[in-house]
Amino acid sequence: MIRFENVKKVYPGTGKSPDIVALQNVNLHIGKGEFVFVLGHSGAGKSTFLKLILREEAATEGRVIVNGWDLSTIKNREIPYLRRGLGVVFQDFRLIPTMTAYENVAFAMRVTNIPEKQIKRRVPYVLNLVGLRDKAYSLPQELSGGEQQRIALARALVHSPPIIIADEPTGNIDPELGVEIMELLQAINTVGTTVVVVTHERDLALRFHKRVITIDHGEVVADAPAAPRRRRTPAEAAAPTAAQRGSAPGQPARPARPAAARTGRPAAPRHTGAAKGGEQP
Amino acid sequence: MKWSSFQYLVKQGWHSMVANRLMTLASMGVLTACLFITGVAALLSLNVNSFVDYLGSKNEVVFFLEDTATDEQVQALAAQIDATDNVAASTYISKAQAVEEMRQDLGENSDLLDSFAGEDNPSNPLPASFRVSVEDPALMDQTVQTIRSYGGDLFYRVEAPSELGDAMVTVRRVANLVGWGLVAVLGVVSVVVISNTIKLTVFARRKEINIMKFVGATNAFIRLPFFVEGMTVGALAGVLATALVGGGYYAMDRSFHAADSYSVLLVEFQQCMIPFSAVILPLAGGFILFGMFIGGMGCAASIRRHLKV
Repeated sequence: MIRFENVKKVYPGTGKSPDIVALQNVNLHIGKGEFVFVLGHSGAGKSTFLKLILREEAATEGRVIVNGWDLSTIKNREIPYLRRGLGVVFQDFRLIPTMTAYENVAFAMRVTNIPEKQIKRRVPYVLNLVGLRDKAYSLPQELSGGEQQRIALARALVHSPPIIIADEPTGNIDPELGVEIMELLQAINTVGTTVVVVTHERDLALRFHKRVITIDHGEVVADAPAAPRRRRTPAEAAAPTAAQRGSAPGQPARPARPAAARTGRPAAPRHTGAAKGGEQP
Repeated sequence: MKWSSFQYLVKQGWHSMVANRLMTLASMGVLTACLFITGVAALLSLNVNSFVDYLGSKNEVVFFLEDTATDEQVQALAAQIDATDNVAASTYISKAQAVEEMRQDLGENSDLLDSFAGEDNPSNPLPASFRVSVEDPALMDQTVQTIRSYGGDLFYRVEAPSELGDAMVTVRRVANLVGWGLVAVLGVVSVVVISNTIKLTVFARRKEINIMKFVGATNAFIRLPFFVEGMTVGALAGVLATALVGGGYYAMDRSFHAADSYSVLLVEFQQCMIPFSAVILPLAGGFILFGMFIGGMGCAASIRRHLKV
């Protein structure tokens, strides 16, 4: 899914200021269906790590491979198709304030050339997934931070991406609502989506007993594999918390919501195909 | 591109025009003004051209012949003159015809010349002549020199309105230069103004553009609404400028033809002014296309920087 091979990123200095080495000697592999925290202080190189995955920046040395795309040789016109396979959630939500929740999610589909008919089916489905079907016609300012972040998550899910990347997803919202977002991400992970959460909160990273990659001073200093929780049986650990509470939005096959399951399925393979560059605008 | 996407893009472009209506109006106004001045300059230059051509066709050089010239010499000369480059037409006026013309000019006093009338009247003091009109007044001097060399001693005098020709040629050259210079300068100004307007729209929507980039919209898709906006502003400015310049020209055309004037220049100008009906379609087409081109250019100039995410 995501592979870094001897990656180094240097930002060239301007004028008198020296070059800045943001990342170096980074070797890692994040496999399909993994849930990974990337932990680091501000300035440790987390943002650069994200920018390399999204191909906002190109690596100075080494190779970055995402979803089968080699980002050192990817053409500029292919980058949009790479990004359609990556769902991104930002700390500051990045919603358009003049658009309703529905419009914000639909926006991501409209600007990628998807027919209106498909948008009308897909958007209610993903809003339902994040539990915001009732708030579809609210503006972002009328919603809480947690709800806004869930819209952002719905938008990230709209192309059925194989990878979800969350940049400090709980940074701007109340702690209890942050837990909700994390549970949603876990639920999404249980249906096979790779989830990468970038954060500076050590407690958050450790609480979920997932793999934690620690970055410091531009290098990977620790890569701790997921550990099963001690006070739970393996069966309990495998089942997502959200699902146990009966609000598992990540399981479209649940009999309680057959309509959602029907509408969700046909969209999925199409977008995966688009992400691999099969579809031209 | 799918139809729904196209609809979406056009809608977006329109929305942003309405949302930034003040800037849209301002840039439309500036572009209209630029097109207006451009159009006036172009029409002026075209009409000066037409006027100069008209004067050129009226520009006759008169070659007066010595009375000693024989019929054979005159015929040979006529053939040579007709074969000369830049000669539009030439007429031979015999001594008798010259008297006839003068009698007509005198009107009721024509009987003064009765004693000179008639073919081969030995007392006729008027010379025979060739009247030659040229195609390009700019080359008149050369043409006159060439014809003079054919006739040699047979010509006793040559009357060429070369100064008027020179002056008109200069006027035409200046009018063309100023016209095209204005078109170029105003074109650049319009591109800058439009690009600034689009820059503001782009700036107002930079967050949206950023989001578009992250959800995987192609650059072409992101750019299109701005192109729609720029080109619509250009086209609307073109329509406005057509109305202004076309209306003005129509009024002028009308008043010229209605004028009951004895001014020679005005009469001459009436005859060579390009009629409104011949001007309006190229004017409208030119304005709208040029406006859209400028709008598109301004858009391309301003959005490039914002796509680098």
